[in-house]
Amino acid sequence: MKLRVVLFLAAAIAVARAAGQHGTLIRPEALHVTPGASSQTLLTVERGRDMVLLEAARNDEQGWSKVFVTLAEGESRREVTGWLLSKGLVVASTPNADQIIFGEAVDSEAQAEQRGGRKGAATDAMRLYYRVWDIFPQSPLAPEALWRSADIRWQLEKADLRSRPSSPGADPDLRPPMDDSLMKQIISKFPGTRWADLAAYEMIDNKLCREWNGLARCPESEAELYANYARDHPASPKSAEALYNAAWRQAVLADIYRISNVPERSSKARQEALALARKIVALSPDPGDWKPRALDLIYVIEQGIHVYGAQTD
Amino acid sequence: MFLRSWQFLLVAALAAFISSSLFAADTERGTVIREAQLYVTPDPTAQKVGTVTRGRDIYFVMGRSNIDGKEWAHVVARVEAGLMSAKDISGWIDNKLLITPNTPNGDQIIYGEAADSENQAEQRGGRKHAAEDAMRLYYRLSEYFPNSPLAGEALWRAADIRWQLEKEGILIRPSARELSPDMRTQIDDETMKQVLKKFPHTKWADLAAYDMLDNKLCFDWKGEAHCPEKESDIYEHYAHEHPQSPKAPEALYNAAWRQAALVDIYKSNRENDKAEHARKKGLALAQELQAQHPDGDWKARATNLSYALEQSLTVYGSGAANAQ
Repeated sequence: MKLRVVLFLAAAIAVARAAGQHGTLIRPEALHVTPGASSQTLLTVERGRDMVLLEAARNDEQGWSKVFVTLAEGESRREVTGWLLSKGLVVASTPNADQIIFGEAVDSEAQAEQRGGRKGAATDAMRLYYRVWDIFPQSPLAPEALWRSADIRWQLEKADLRSRPSSPGADPDLRPPMDDSLMKQIISKFPGTRWADLAAYEMIDNKLCREWNGLARCPESEAELYANYARDHPASPKSAEALYNAAWRQAVLADIYRISNVPERSSKARQEALALARKIVALSPDPGDWKPRALDLIYVIEQGIHVYGAQTD
Repeated sequence: MFLRSWQFLLVAALAAFISSSLFAADTERGTVIREAQLYVTPDPTAQKVGTVTRGRDIYFVMGRSNIDGKEWAHVVARVEAGLMSAKDISGWIDNKLLITPNTPNGDQIIYGEAADSENQAEQRGGRKHAAEDAMRLYYRLSEYFPNSPLAGEALWRAADIRWQLEKEGILIRPSARELSPDMRTQIDDETMKQVLKKFPHTKWADLAAYDMLDNKLCFDWKGEAHCPEKESDIYEHYAHEHPQSPKAPEALYNAAWRQAALVDIYKSNRENDKAEHARKKGLALAQELQAQHPDGDWKARATNLSYALEQSLTVYGSGAANAQ
């Protein structure tokens, strides 16, 4: 009995010190009106939601925390106060809290990638990564966590936009762009880092056409975008991919111009494609799969094999 | 008469043996990097006898011919006929689509086309059967260019794609839900065994050995301890047998996570001693992972798992909302 009292007092002191700190959940928990599983449930709080610890109590032999939860969904924002079980709550003063939250985010991301994985796991991961950055801006994991959060948000929004029938058009200016505020935040907070390079690469998506419709305008502008990216971000992990994308689009242009009976432009695009592909082959350190893919593209261009449209004899 | 016919048979057999030996030594083999039409004669208007898809084995290039400035190759290709059988067809194909060991950078070109097909397979709306194309192209590379620096990785990638495709096929069968892996159809590990045999003690052999664990795993634990107990042992054993493997940290994590799941299973069975033992084992494995692989995601995942074990958070079952 004495031991229980001592343990509770120690926990209460720890919570008193932690009061006012921001934290988040690494397991979903029900938010109650009063500390106790039998009290009225207000809602279930998911992983990664922002909350402030207000006070602690003990009931049913379990630790309870009174928290102020912020529920933000896009533009809308709601704030709720209630009690939840303490054990799933990680606050700034929890030892290794940044690692614990980051680990839960990685776990959720892995779940999202699995067939039959947990529903909502991708948004859990997005929120959890954001919390690492939000609560621990000085953590060595913070820049990567912010990048991963932004990337998941970007991919979810991209998938959502693609599924909308209202945004087919070839012209990127005619469809709603994806929200790039987080990407811009990464570029401004961590300039010159790989995270800024990755964010800049992702943002190219907003300038790409959905369909080319056999016209030269889109691949022309896209080849330029990728070539510029590779020139401006030579140390980026996406540099070889950008060069390949530029080279491949030039190879496509060679086919489009040939079909349109513009041989000079076709020849120029072919030379441009070969020059870009050769840059990939010469990259050091070895860019992995991009080197054989570039050599394959060089062979295809040199042999006059078509890369776009039907192959005709 | 008998003697003469016997002598004739002997001479004929000898001639056949010699010619087949010469044939094997001189045979030029190859594959195509685009879907190629096979014609009766070297002429695009001639009758088509079939289509050779990327990575198919063209096991005999009989000759080449230049017609009106366009080079043609006279080939025998092995193509699929139905699900389980293959047939050989001969005809003429556009020579520029054919890559053989004599093509400069032939290994790189085939590998590049395979990587491209693999990328297509991963894209929403990518080319149909691109995964199978990639699998065949990677395999052909390892077959035609056994001394290429890309051969080991190519054979591993071919084996892995085959494995994933077959696993997908098996998972949708009702037998996959059986408790024991012995009771369900096994994934064919022939190509994985080739990787182990041809490239022993390499990263590729380590990866092949890891994939092969799938055949020993239960797909559904049904809340019983038997499967996670066995699987935890399998993963721990792998991590200790293959410490250099890129999959060693994942194996340690899987072993630790299964111990954490066992804590919940034993607790629900009111086997508290076993639960405590599993908790300690899970923590020890997570600590081993943190100490041996301090970089990358696995350290954070191990820290998260240790925290869950220390705080008695549920990782398995309805309370977890986190089934692995």
